[in-house]
Amino acid sequence: MAAIVSVRNVSKDYTLGKTIVHAVRDVSLDIHGGEFVSIAGPSGSGKTTLLNLIGCVDTPSAGTVEVAGQDTSKLAERALTNLRLHHIGFIFQTFNLVAVLTVFQNVEFPLLLQGGLHRKARQAKVNNLLAAVGLADHARHRPSELSGGQRQRVAVARALVTSPALVLADEPTANLDSQTGGTIIDLMKNMNQKNGTTFIFSTHDARVMAHASAVIHIDDGRLAGREQQNGQQAGGN
Amino acid sequence: MPSRLAASGVLLEIAFRNLFASRAKTLIIGGIIMFGTGLVVVGGAVIDGVDVGMRKSIQGSIGGHLQVYNANSRDELALFGGAMGESDLQPLEDFAEVKKVLLSVPNVRMVIPLGLKDAIIDAPNTLDRTLAKLRDDVRAVLAGDKSTERATSLAAHKAHVRHIIELLASSFASARSLAKEGRSEQSDREALARVQTDAFWRELDTAPLPALEFLENRIAPQSIDGGMTFIRYAGTDLDAFPRAFDRMHIIEGTAVPPGQRGILLAKLYSEEMLKLRTARRLDKIKEQIEIAHVTIAKDEQLQRFVKENVSQTRDVMEQLNPMTAQQATERLARALRSSKTALADLLVELFETTDANFLEHYAIFYRELAPLLELYRIKVGDTLTIKAFTSSGYMKSVNVKVYGIYSLAGLEKSMFAGMTSLMDLMTFRDLYGYMTAERAAEIKRLKAGSGAREVNRDNAEAELFGGGEAVVGATKAQGFDENTLMQAKQSVGAGFTHATFTQDELEHGVVLNAAVLLHDESQMDATMGAIDSATKAAGLPLKVVTWQVASGLVGKFVTFARVILWVAVLIIFAVALVIINNAMVMATLQRVGEIGTLRAIGAQRRFTFFMLLAETVAVGLAFGGLGAGLGAGVVALLRATGGFAARSDEMYFFFSGPALMPAIGVTTLVIALVLVLIVSILSGVYPAMLAGRVTPILAMQTED
Repeated sequence: MAAIVSVRNVSKDYTLGKTIVHAVRDVSLDIHGGEFVSIAGPSGSGKTTLLNLIGCVDTPSAGTVEVAGQDTSKLAERALTNLRLHHIGFIFQTFNLVAVLTVFQNVEFPLLLQGGLHRKARQAKVNNLLAAVGLADHARHRPSELSGGQRQRVAVARALVTSPALVLADEPTANLDSQTGGTIIDLMKNMNQKNGTTFIFSTHDARVMAHASAVIHIDDGRLAGREQQNGQQAGGN
Repeated sequence: MPSRLAASGVLLEIAFRNLFASRAKTLIIGGIIMFGTGLVVVGGAVIDGVDVGMRKSIQGSIGGHLQVYNANSRDELALFGGAMGESDLQPLEDFAEVKKVLLSVPNVRMVIPLGLKDAIIDAPNTLDRTLAKLRDDVRAVLAGDKSTERATSLAAHKAHVRHIIELLASSFASARSLAKEGRSEQSDREALARVQTDAFWRELDTAPLPALEFLENRIAPQSIDGGMTFIRYAGTDLDAFPRAFDRMHIIEGTAVPPGQRGILLAKLYSEEMLKLRTARRLDKIKEQIEIAHVTIAKDEQLQRFVKENVSQTRDVMEQLNPMTAQQATERLARALRSSKTALADLLVELFETTDANFLEHYAIFYRELAPLLELYRIKVGDTLTIKAFTSSGYMKSVNVKVYGIYSLAGLEKSMFAGMTSLMDLMTFRDLYGYMTAERAAEIKRLKAGSGAREVNRDNAEAELFGGGEAVVGATKAQGFDENTLMQAKQSVGAGFTHATFTQDELEHGVVLNAAVLLHDESQMDATMGAIDSATKAAGLPLKVVTWQVASGLVGKFVTFARVILWVAVLIIFAVALVIINNAMVMATLQRVGEIGTLRAIGAQRRFTFFMLLAETVAVGLAFGGLGAGLGAGVVALLRATGGFAARSDEMYFFFSGPALMPAIGVTTLVIALVLVLIVSILSGVYPAMLAGRVTPILAMQTED
């Protein structure tokens, strides 16, 4: 299968006061459609930075990132936003739901931004997804009325509502207890298998990593190795 | 694009829900906007009400819709006086020509000639009036009247004059104890001492005329009440004036007959300047109690009026001769159920009023005392001597009969509109010093009578100072016969005040300005343009101005009030702008995560920009609308409860009546809402731009 994400010799430097922080150093990797990939590494290793570069919310200091066949360094901000809207779904560590909207509205929101679908079609899509994540009865609730696990499930539904090719999840279980975290990973896995959506998620939890089809190890900004699960070993660069 | 519409809907929903979520902030911001908008609506309605009131006052008194005057004038026309006093206007030589040209403009309904001037009238004081009566008696006796009635009248008037002199002397004695005396005061005191002696009054019996002359020239001027009083008058076509200004009505006397000279005194002028001050003060106390609902106990001005009435009983005492004084004493003792026997004490008791007894004492004054007094120094039927500086700078006097007292409905108490008396145009021209055909003939007659002859400029030196015969011949001292002079004066006076004139003479002569009344006021601007064109075509140097401009400083009041209102409103909205801006900046900074998330999942910059802007605009419009609604409610309430009562004479003018009815104008409402919209947009733009700058990476930031 073709690479949905292609990272080539990417580096990302930040200036922190007078110090230059090398968050990502010369990383190259390919992620193919339908993969369920975990980016693993200790805190501060550069996992989130790598996810941001893949998710087109940050631009590399050097190298190229291609997502869905588009070189992100050549796209203007407006086009990057459209790329995110149409091809990428996001799941955040802190759920990041819009507090003033209901569960239904939060999930519906990316569809409204995309445009093109009529109300009934939107409603059907949102309700199906809410049923799939087990929140059909909570459609009219506000995020504040939900538990952490429920909120993250809403976030999963929101990330998937536009049927993106790629879903990025930054530490999706970090704020959840292990049982709930397991449920979320199961849900993501289920969506991956059912819809063929590519998932890339960062974690430093070994139990979460165990669910991944591949684990990319990052250490001090560098790619430390790529481990193909189920006995298959995939090499890094 | 149903989804786009839905996206806008969700944008607004996020905005509204965020506003609702931060209720305290929204209420504070909204409260300021609501207050500002309410102020615009209520303030605007009040000023519009004053505008309407002033429009009625000025248009209905002498302003008309437009005013025209000579374009070559040094000053601008100021109907109610300008900053530098009376306007110096170049006359319009022939009113008929002006009228003809103006009436050729289709929208012009009427043209009323006007000449506004200030003058001085000799308002005789009580001593003057009593001396005049005494002189009539003396003259009659000298002429041979030996009737008992005449003798009684002479005795009564003599007693009255002596009574006034005693009062004058006693008040001067107390005044002298307070002030240092100069040479002239000493001479006055000696004169006063002389007339208090019996010898002087015996002298009056034997040689009455020199004694009377002494009283008139040396004593009467010492009585400070009365004397010269200012009068503002408008010389006009007294026949056409009431047709043009239908607020005018005569409340006493009659109109000046067509073709006759005469004056109609303004009611307020008569009340303010000519009425017995004690009575006027009582009227004012009553007005304040009934209209402004103030009490003597709490109002300093009313307390002052009471004190003045108590301490200035001399004004009343002077008017009473021994006989009427006795009547007054009896009447007051009975009405007040008082045991006092001295008139002075009874008057003090009458005027020492409190809130409890004021209305009763007021009624007693008018029922018992007023019939014995002359309440007004000048009455209908009197002949006034009006003095004014002519256009060439010399003083000119004209005698003119008072035919009536007039008032302008709704403006009875207006100090500006209600103080102008109306005079026939011919008398105005005499006072103004314009060379009418009549005056030219009079001067010719005088020249012929005096033997004066023209001195040519070329031989002026020889004519005046040298050569030939002496210009100044021998003079011969001659005595004069007073009776002959009096007759001559009367004949001149009679000829003057009774001289009639034709409408043609009235129209073909000088005026200073003219009021123009239109068929359709809404076409004022277009008509001004048409008048300009017509006068230019006719070669007339006419300047045409609106009633508002013509009313000078007074007309600028509304503009001034509007400026104050708008400055206040601008300050409020500027404060609102800063507060809203700060609050929204804080809110934006607090919501960076949310905004970043929206950007990360695909919202463009403009979405977050408009989302923030929608919040301020929604607050602005919602609370602005609420403020406008509340303001309209306040105005409706004010109207339902009778509006603002006029508590001062000036307010009567500005309100054009006893109360101001604020009126909500559509313009005011639109301005208020547009202002709110501008303020909300301006205050929301910066925070919205900040929101637009939030990058999606901010949503992704974790401890990594």
